[in-house]
Amino acid sequence: MELKERKEGNVLIIKIFEKRLDEFMTLDFKEKMTEFVKRGNDFIVLDLSEVEFIDSSGLGAIISSMKLLGKKGDFVICGMRETVLSLFRLTRMDRLFKIFPGEKEAIAALSK
Amino acid sequence: MAEKQIKLTIESCLKNVSLIGQAVNKISSYIGFNELSSYQLELCVVEAVNNVIIHAYEKEAGHEVEVTFSIYKDRLAIDVHDTGKSMGNKLLEKKEDSSLDFDPDDPGTIPEGGRGLAIIKEITDSVCYKTEGGENCLTMTKIFKQSE
Repeated sequence: MELKERKEGNVLIIKIFEKRLDEFMTLDFKEKMTEFVKRGNDFIVLDLSEVEFIDSSGLGAIISSMKLLGKKGDFVICGMRETVLSLFRLTRMDRLFKIFPGEKEAIAALSK
Repeated sequence: MAEKQIKLTIESCLKNVSLIGQAVNKISSYIGFNELSSYQLELCVVEAVNNVIIHAYEKEAGHEVEVTFSIYKDRLAIDVHDTGKSMGNKLLEKKEDSSLDFDPDDPGTIPEGGRGLAIIKEITDSVCYKTEGGENCLTMTKIFKQSE
């Protein structure tokens, strides 16, 4: 799985450079997210602007990443296309995650 | 009888599912569904095919998963066939599907999986499942609506 990470203050921004986050990709994604959290990153922005398709397994992997942080940090998502966002709406996950249109707003929300 | 029909077959490997997904999306757009509905139909088929590979074939490669698109005047019917372990009808018979319910105040308890069938039920107009002569078939139907 191709992704890039960078840090702004105490916020880690992870951008996925894959068109699909599906059952085939989830194990790799979960391993990478576990590693980021283990390294002490408690505030994470997941940038999904390059992702065109997510299925319920990909969604499960994102939920799992959020759960890894527990109450010690915060996890937000940005850059979702309308189609991908529709999966979050269908599964009511738009009520659970803080979702922002762009990276700037997402970073600002975590930097407060 | 269907006006048009296409059958797509993949081997039971998760890496092949994206190929079916892409085909479904393109066919759905071609027959007039908008971008959002085409995405959601792709999602339904991907969920159904993932279920077949993971549960019916228990991730064993070398089996066939066949997806048939039947286009009628008023609807699209998508059949997903396999010859693996049947899931029975119990999962679909439940009137109230609670797999999408959760407590947002207690994120630790939110399940990471088990949403596939609930998603299919939310998107399609009807879903049915039957097992006959060792073959399972999940049929998802979407009625053509102007807004979609």
